[in-house]
Order: sequence, then structure tokens, then C-alpha cells
Amino acid sequence: MIELQDVSKTYHLGEVRVPALKHVSLKVERGDFVAIMGPSGSGKSTLMNIIGCLDAADEGRYLLAGFPVSLATHSELAELRNRHIGFIFQSFNLIPRINALRNVEMPMIYAGVNPETRRKRALTALAIVGLRGREHHTAAQLSGGQQQRVAIARAIVNNPDVIIADEPTGALDSQTSQEIMQLFAQLNAGGKTIVMVTHEVDIARHARRVIQVKDGQIFNIRYQ
Amino acid sequence: MYLHPGIIRDVFVQAVYSLSDNKLRTVLSILGIAVGIAAVMAVGSVIQSAREYIFAEFQTYGLKTIWIYRDWGDDNENKVVRQGSGIDNDDFEVIQHGCCSAVQRASPVVYSQKYTVTVNNGNDFYDAPVEGVGLDYLNINNDNILVGRNFSRNDIEHRKEVALIGLKAAEELFGKNSSYLNKSFRLYKRKYTVIGVLANKKREIIAQLGIDNYDINGRVLIPYTVYQSILGSKDVHTLQAEAVSMDKTHEASKQLEDLLQRSHGGRYNYTTETMDGWINQAKTYLRNISLAGLFVASVSLLVGGMGIMNIMSTSVIERTREIGVRKAIGAQNHDILFQFLMEATYVSTIGGFIGLLLGIVAVYVVSMVSEYDLNPSWSMGFVAIVVSMLVGIVSGFYPAYRAAKLRPVDALRFE
Ligand SMILES: Nc1ncnc2c1ncn2[C@@H]1O[C@H](COP(=O)(O)OP(=O)(O)OP(=O)(O)O)[C@@H](O)[C@H]1O
Ligand SMILES: [Mg+2]
Repeated sequence: MIELQDVSKTYHLGEVRVPALKHVSLKVERGDFVAIMGPSGSGKSTLMNIIGCLDAADEGRYLLAGFPVSLATHSELAELRNRHIGFIFQSFNLIPRINALRNVEMPMIYAGVNPETRRKRALTALAIVGLRGREHHTAAQLSGGQQQRVAIARAIVNNPDVIIADEPTGALDSQTSQEIMQLFAQLNAGGKTIVMVTHEVDIARHARRVIQVKDGQIFNIRYQ
Repeated sequence: MYLHPGIIRDVFVQAVYSLSDNKLRTVLSILGIAVGIAAVMAVGSVIQSAREYIFAEFQTYGLKTIWIYRDWGDDNENKVVRQGSGIDNDDFEVIQHGCCSAVQRASPVVYSQKYTVTVNNGNDFYDAPVEGVGLDYLNINNDNILVGRNFSRNDIEHRKEVALIGLKAAEELFGKNSSYLNKSFRLYKRKYTVIGVLANKKREIIAQLGIDNYDINGRVLIPYTVYQSILGSKDVHTLQAEAVSMDKTHEASKQLEDLLQRSHGGRYNYTTETMDGWINQAKTYLRNISLAGLFVASVSLLVGGMGIMNIMSTSVIERTREIGVRKAIGAQNHDILFQFLMEATYVSTIGGFIGLLLGIVAVYVVSMVSEYDLNPSWSMGFVAIVVSMLVGIVSGFYPAYRAAKLRPVDALRFE
């Protein structure tokens, strides 16, 4: 599903070069559930951004479902993000002011789905994450856990192959975090490939594989 | 570029939310646009009404009219001093017999050097502009007879002492609301019978602009042959003619001038004036007023446009993260561009409609305080709305473009 070959990424801060990823190769099969762990600044988010087609690598090849992402245009990247990837962020990142339903409809608006189908699918997604009855709440009217559930509904509504979650429970208490992980497990059981960054061992436990990153390199892969 | 149908409603909802977040700034930008559009609307409507008024007044001269008269300055050009007006009844006869293809009809105009002559009906004296004219004079000048009749061929050939007088002249001589027909008055010691009264003509603006102070409604017209016999000369002071059409006026004046030059052996110079020339002058005058108004309008539209650019730039910065999220979930650059352009256009169009209302109110207020009846110009209103939308698109473009070009990773990292 995901195939990174010898991928490098270096940031430039003025004169200073910050190598964030150094020759990383990684393969994630369809249906896998991978947790990425590592110290702060080790390059986890950089890796996630590349996998999520939000940013391009400087070097190396990246194939997503066989598609050569490293060669894609801006517009093709947007389309890949829209159809093949669902994002879940630490800070939820719901669009403020509009309600849960319209937030979940948003990826389908950009995909050009017609209004009736859009609404039906958004309601189904919200039901899957257990938010039936909260469709018309805005982010400000929802708890952190509920906001993250809306974000998950938004991430799955276009039926993507891969879910990219950068510290999805970083802003949640442990009780809520475990509930969110139950949802992840459920999605994974339904066939979704999940790549998730976390600092917490309790959270990483839900994954099938744990990848340790340090100084921009993968130094350990553990199956559990 | 393909825009998803769902986006238009989404964008509208977004625009309403984000604009109501920045109420003061939004209101100020809307006001800026509104003032500009109100200026466009008010100036445009006033100009439109002024144009209608002035052209209505120009109609009272006949739009195809030509005047030709001796250029009295020709005495100075090393020529022998010439007596006479350089136009006579024979010239008129030649014109009557169809000398000039571009001339539809013509009339001699004879007047005294003093220009106004005292007329009286025994008790009431009145200084009137008196003119001796031909059969076609009324027709050329778009004059209407209120009561009575025009001169007849017989009146002119047999020098009948009859007169057509303006309504104002009639009232001066005989008082209001009396019957004027067949009344008589004295002029140069002779008695004239009123055979017709001419309807009043409106030349208020023209008089106010000082273009022509001739007391049109106080005129006294007599057959030109009669006036010539009073003055003891066969001179015609001005030949007034009508061209076959508006675009033939120059050709017609050329033909008339050539005719006069030929028949008088080139002894005189002539001056021709056409209504066409006056109309062009009026158009220039109105265009200059429009340009001044346009300048005021563009300044306030510029200020309003900069206001919109400012709120949109702020909005883009405040919503950087949101832009990142939208891109992460699949928004194309043009989706983001369109969203912010639409937002800018909503602000400016709301400003446009408010400005339109203000402009209409302004037109009615001016109409009430001035003596002129002004009307809002709807075509101008349409232009105003289109202009306000354009201002939104133009001033929203740069911020929208910046938003569209944001890299998703950078936008998502923005705090
Ligand atoms: N836009 C950027 N410009 C410059 N340097 C950057 C940028 N983004 C990341 N870096 C640097 O790249 C390195 C990797 O950053 P990254 O965000 O991938 O780390 P991380 O593992 O996600 O850390 P954390 O656990 O704190 O989220 C760090 O040294 C960071 O300072
Ligand atoms: Mg990180």
C-alpha cells in the first residue's frame, strides 16, 4: 500500500540545514496498523506529511497504492489526499463555526459528490463514530473526544485506503484516548490501513507494528 | 477549472461567518464601497437627467438647424467696406427652387440692429425681440401654434401687417387669460393684427448657462417682407435652414455658403452655426462633469477596494490553519482561490447594493431641493452593481491568490 524507498527530507532554516529524514525506506501493507514512536524532533511528523502527500520528499521514491507520488503535481496531490488519505490531527482541526455535519461533508464537497449522497454518507460516518444526535453541534459545542470523533468521521467519509494520524490522542485524557483507539481498531478490522504517531506506549499497543524513529532514521521495527 | 456545485453554498455560509467575525472592518469596507457606488449612481443619474433636459431644450431650436449670416469682421480683411448683410431675397428664392440637395427648407430672418423694439397696444408698452420671418420658420424651429394660424403666402407676398407672438408677449400686451386673436398692437408706428399665439418653449438651462439669453417666449414675428419694408432694405440678416438629416448639417451649411459666395461674387465672408456643433459642445461639457464625478467615485471605490483587500488579507492570515485543513482534505488551489474571491465579492456587492440605495436617495433629495425633476438612472444602477462586483474581485484577488498558494504543511503548522 505504502512504499517509501530511500526517502530523505532536509529543511533549510536560512543557512542552517536541518536533515529531518535520512534515507528512510518503509513498506506498509494494505490493512496494516503501524505506530511510529520516537523522541521529539526525530522526524515523525515529517515522515507522516510525506506519507500523507502533504509534503514532497527531496530524494527517494514514494509509491502509494502503486501511484508514484514523488512525481505528482500539486493538483494530483490534492486529489490523492482527497480520495486515498484520511487525516486525523492532534488538535482535531475541525473548521470552526460550521457544524459537525458540514465538517464531515467537506471532503465530499471537494470530491464533487452530490448533496443527497453527501448528507447520507456524512450521517452514516457520524453514526459510526457514535455521534448520532450531535450533527448540528459546532466544534465549540463539542468536547475534545467528540471533536476527534468528528475528525475521524471526516477522515473516513470518502472511504480512503490509508488513515494518517499524528498523535491523535495527544490532547485527550487516557479514558477518551482508549475510546478513540477502540474506534481505530474497529476501522482497522474493517480493512483500513492506519499509520499513527504516538508517544504513549498504551496507545501504541493497539498497533500491529511499532516503528522506532531516531534522528531521521528508522532504527527498530517491532511486531506485537 | 471545475467548481463543485456544493462549494458555492459552502462558500456563502463561510463568508457570512467570517465576515460577521470581523464586524467593524467589514462594515467599514462595505461603507467605502457604498459611498463610491452612491457617487457613481448619483452623478450618473444627474448627468443622465441633465442630458435629457438639455436635449429637450435643444429640440426647441430644431436639431437639424443651420444659421448662416455675414461675418461682419470681413471689413477688416483688406476689403473695401461693404454695405449690406450679404444675403438677400434672391438667395432665398434660389434655395426655395432646390439649389442645395442637403437643405430641406429655409427661412429668411430679418431683425433690427437694436434687437428689441418697443411694441404697444395703446396702454401697455413692451420691449420685444422682433423678427421678420418666412413660411417655414415655425417648422424649422419646432414651434407650435397655440391658437390661430401660420403666415400665409399671401401675407408674405402682399406684406400684410400681421403677427405671430409668443405666449409671454401676448400676456404682456393683453393681460393673462384674455383672447389674443385679432387683437392689435403698434410697432414702428404701424398697427399689426395677431393671427396666432406660439406655445411657450423651455430654455431654462440654456439661459442659466448663459448660452442664449434671447427672450424666446416674448418674441414678436412678422412677415420678413414687412420688416424689410420698415427697415427700407432687401437685406436678410440671417438665413435659417434645416438640413435633410442630422448628419447632413455640415454638407448643407457648405452648400449654403458656396451659394452665397457665388451669388455675391465672394465679397463677403459668412459664419455658419449648426445645432450639431452646439450638441457636440454640450456633450463635451457633460463628459467633463461625468469625468469629475467619475474621479470622486473612483477615489472612494479605491478606498473601499483597499478596505476589502485589507479585511481579506487579515482573514487569510487568521484562517491559515483552516486553509491547511481544507487542503489536507482535498481542496484544490482553485477551490481556495474561489472561496476568498467569493467572500470579497459578497462584501463589495453588499456595499454596491447599499450604495445603490444611497445613490437613489441622493438623486431624490437633489431633485427635491433643486428646481429640476431628476430620476435615478437604472442603467447606471446596473453599471454600479457590476462595478462593485468587479472591485471585489480585483481587490480580493491578491489575498485569495496568496491563500491558494499556501503550502498545506506550512498552513497546518501555523499557530
Ligand atoms: N518547516 C520546518 N522548517 C524547518 N525545520 C523543520 C520544519 N519542520 C520540522 N523541522 C525540523 O525537522 C526535524 C523533525 O521535525 P518533526 O516535526 O518531523 O519531528 P517530530 O518527530 O514530529 O517531533 P514531535 O514529536 O515534537 O512532534 C526537527 O528538528 C524540526 O525542528
Ligand atoms: Mg510531530
